[in-house]
Amino acid sequence: MSGTSESTNTNTSAGDQVVRRKGSSRTGAYIVVGVVVVVVIILLAGYFAAGWFKPSSTSTSNNGTCTAPTPATISGAGSTLVAPLMTAWALSYTASTVNYASVGSGAGISDITSKTVDFGASDAPLSPSQRAAIPSPGVLTIPESIGAAVPIYNLPSVATTLKFTGQVLAGIYMQAPGYTNWNNSALQAINPGVTLPNANIVVVHRSDGSGTTFAFSSFLALSNATWASVYGHATTINWPTSEIGSKGNSGVTGTVKSTQYAIGYVDINYALTESVAFGAVKNPAGNYIVANITNIASAVKDASATFPASSGDWYNFTVENSPGAQDYPISTFTYLFVYSDLGVAYGSSMPLTTAENLVNLLLWMVGDNSGQGQTFAAGLYYVPLSPAAATFDTSAIESITYNGAAITHCVQS
Amino acid sequence: MKLKFDRYTRRKLFSRGMTVLTGATVVIVLLPLFSIIYETVVLGGGVLSVGFFTQNIPQPCSPHPGVVCQAGGIGPAIQGTFIIVALAALYSVPVGVGAAIFAVEYGGERALARVISMAADILSGVPSIVAGMFVYALIYYYEPAVVFSTFSGSLALGVIMLPIVMRTSEEALRTIPNSVREAALALGISRWKTSIRIVLIGALPGVLTGVMLAIARAAGEAAPMLLLNNGALHGFTGINYVSQNMALLIYTSAVAGYQNDVNLAWGAALILIVLVLGMSILSRIVLNRTARRWGQGT
Amino acid sequence: MTRGNPFHTRTSTKTRKVSKWGDRTFLVLTGIGAAGVVGVLVAVGVVLYYGALPLINRDGLSFLTNRIWDPENNVYGILPFAAGTLITSAVALLISVPLSIGAALFLTQHAPQWLREPIAQVVQMLAAIPSVIFGFWGLIVIVPVMASTVNPALAHYLGWTGLFGGPTDIGTNILTASIVLAIMTVPTITALSKDSIMAVPRTQTEAAISLGATDWEVSRRAILPYARGGIVAGVVLGLGRALGETMAVTLVIGNSNGVPNSFIAPGQTIASLIANDFFESFYALERPALVYAALVLLVITLAVNVLARFLLARFQRGMGAKVE
Repeated sequence: MSGTSESTNTNTSAGDQVVRRKGSSRTGAYIVVGVVVVVVIILLAGYFAAGWFKPSSTSTSNNGTCTAPTPATISGAGSTLVAPLMTAWALSYTASTVNYASVGSGAGISDITSKTVDFGASDAPLSPSQRAAIPSPGVLTIPESIGAAVPIYNLPSVATTLKFTGQVLAGIYMQAPGYTNWNNSALQAINPGVTLPNANIVVVHRSDGSGTTFAFSSFLALSNATWASVYGHATTINWPTSEIGSKGNSGVTGTVKSTQYAIGYVDINYALTESVAFGAVKNPAGNYIVANITNIASAVKDASATFPASSGDWYNFTVENSPGAQDYPISTFTYLFVYSDLGVAYGSSMPLTTAENLVNLLLWMVGDNSGQGQTFAAGLYYVPLSPAAATFDTSAIESITYNGAAITHCVQS
Repeated sequence: MKLKFDRYTRRKLFSRGMTVLTGATVVIVLLPLFSIIYETVVLGGGVLSVGFFTQNIPQPCSPHPGVVCQAGGIGPAIQGTFIIVALAALYSVPVGVGAAIFAVEYGGERALARVISMAADILSGVPSIVAGMFVYALIYYYEPAVVFSTFSGSLALGVIMLPIVMRTSEEALRTIPNSVREAALALGISRWKTSIRIVLIGALPGVLTGVMLAIARAAGEAAPMLLLNNGALHGFTGINYVSQNMALLIYTSAVAGYQNDVNLAWGAALILIVLVLGMSILSRIVLNRTARRWGQGT
Repeated sequence: MTRGNPFHTRTSTKTRKVSKWGDRTFLVLTGIGAAGVVGVLVAVGVVLYYGALPLINRDGLSFLTNRIWDPENNVYGILPFAAGTLITSAVALLISVPLSIGAALFLTQHAPQWLREPIAQVVQMLAAIPSVIFGFWGLIVIVPVMASTVNPALAHYLGWTGLFGGPTDIGTNILTASIVLAIMTVPTITALSKDSIMAVPRTQTEAAISLGATDWEVSRRAILPYARGGIVAGVVLGLGRALGETMAVTLVIGNSNGVPNSFIAPGQTIASLIANDFFESFYALERPALVYAALVLLVITLAVNVLARFLLARFQRGMGAKVE
């Protein structure tokens, strides 16, 4: 508001005379009061019509053999990589009202630690210090979906798909000498016959705490010793200051899309949905792989055999650089974090009904047999969980207790 | 007649040039406004439909061959904005108007009134993101579970609305001449009755103007929503849960960039601008009528 | 009129005893309101201070001069963002002050009487538009223009200054944020300039005209020097708004956490830092660091606002007229 009002320079003391003009007395006030009344009516209508905007659904009170709990509102936050899938789930799931704030894996971790959300989502597993910071009874790590970090770029003059290696990507992201121009020798060597432009590479990274950064930097650390020792792998990296930070997978996608000569790393679903060019990456078998559902699934097909315990430490678990000939090397799981005993963790702010809603939701998202959530995955360019992974998840979710007692499940079909 | 280019002519020409220049600055200054209104009306107007007002947000999607994107709507966002602003008004209007009455009726010309006015002025300078941080820190200390909720968001909006309501009400109350208060007192009406039934009612247009301007401001605040009321995907389910919000929707869509979200954001921007400008114009009309009525400037 | 509020004179009416409780209750209720206003203000300062305390205890004032913001290594410094805030606001004022004063001059000196208020009201509409819409519009309309046309032109013609280096493709940068901020501060400065100019006594103008001054000379020599106090107050008030502006800036500034070395490079202000980094602050001291940043921003904006009001009050006393 500008704070200025009419300024008529009257310093006269005409105020002692109050003259009421007929007919013009209160119209202004009535209009304004009318507006306020209308607003109040709409407020009340909105409150009572809270169910207006639920997606239309069939009856959810009885799922065949079990009775579903009263619907509750569940809130989660975290990874932007999985946000499109989460949104699809939230908009379709009718047994509860699901809200999800797509604020980055780092935020998902800090929110679940401070118990301001019911579940957290992250593409990065908990580091030892993050695990230590989580209050008792501690959280379970539940694999939720599978994505992959792909290198996107904006080079209108290059029609073919560029090839990258971890070494080259590390050099570019370190802004190492010899890697700052698109036509550098290392990149040219692995892309013979492609005319690379003579232009500075505009490097884009994530400005927020990101599981996609974790996955990408882990791959760079595996590929380049200097990166591993100087920058490491984490959800936030101390990037060279000449690079651009964008918020969320969508931010990086948008920046690269609108900035010529830019390069960035995002999940494959963003690259495909926004039609941004992305490159092939060399895997340990020596092949340059352009990420797709098949080769990402191939990279994680045996992963569930090496899952740590759900309540254990996942920091060293990785599916990157898997040995298969056609495996995509920068694949990553995304995880859900949820407390192992909801009553102990949240106390009175999570009643049993809400706990039941949460467990049913989790089973619907990632469980086997009753899980419908994974059917959404392929259409949105995510890799669905393997049956073995879904079974792992189901047993983990079913181990969640409420003040020591098991929680009744009744999943929406 | 010879055309003289003497000093006088130079000065006159320079002066004419400056006149044109200042006229140009007015045009330059108005260009962004017209651009914003044009873009909003054209792009926002293009998405208006019944579905726009009643449906929920769509699955994020950018059109390319073989993909049809849902249009979706901002129904829950409109609902959420109304509710959170109404809640904020519920806290800030009584406190603000009460403070204004106290300052004018009991503080009068004394230092006490100036202190309260100054406090309100200083409060109006608090950036909205700082107000959001303040509420976050406050609620987190007492009850972390409701940190992200419509309730917290409404508190932050209340902090932003409070000084606007208070200062405008105070100025409106001060325009009521003391002779009115004296007349009421002389007739034996008690002090508090005078304050409410005569002074406040007399200043009501000004007070309600302040409320409207505060509401218009609060409806457009996205920063506190980003911190406190983020992530809602459905209609309103309770003040201890997050709710959708038009201003936040615009920000989220701008950052995310999916085409169908961007279209909705323009629609939301149109609604907000209509609301905000409408309230501004309405308040100026009301103020003009009040000024004429009391025979002095406001 | 200047006799003061009649309630402060002693009166004795028979109804006084009966209405005493009503008056008392009313006094208490409205007093609570007044205390609420002051209380909220105090609470904001106190809560932010306590939220920032862990970092204040560790770093003290060195937070203000440290150039590195590295949560992973537990190093926090606000200097790059303070620089970003000051630079964007300064450039914004550099753009908006001449435009606003020019507009105010045109409206008061050259526009026909019937056109003045309508155009002034239209300019005020800019102030009513929510800042997130400014940011959104800036992102979609201004940013592409900057990337395609303005940045290359500036780098080409002004590159010799060393201030326009770096890639020119990036539309979200400090200059774009400054331009958007400039547009947002125009209504404030224009309104106060216009009112200040109108408060200058007519005698000044007439005296100048009678001495043979042209229109421009009247403005420059007779009016502006007298209105200067109010105009400066308006500029400082506009500055206060620009310093705290969040949403519009966050959307167009590029969000890069280093000390900026070029106008067409991405940057970050204190406000956009808080908006961007608020969520993932799980490193032990990161959230207190952000609260500390909010506290610093609060102190800066409040100081500037108080200065503005002080200047305005001084100008009003000098002019003997009320300028809002």
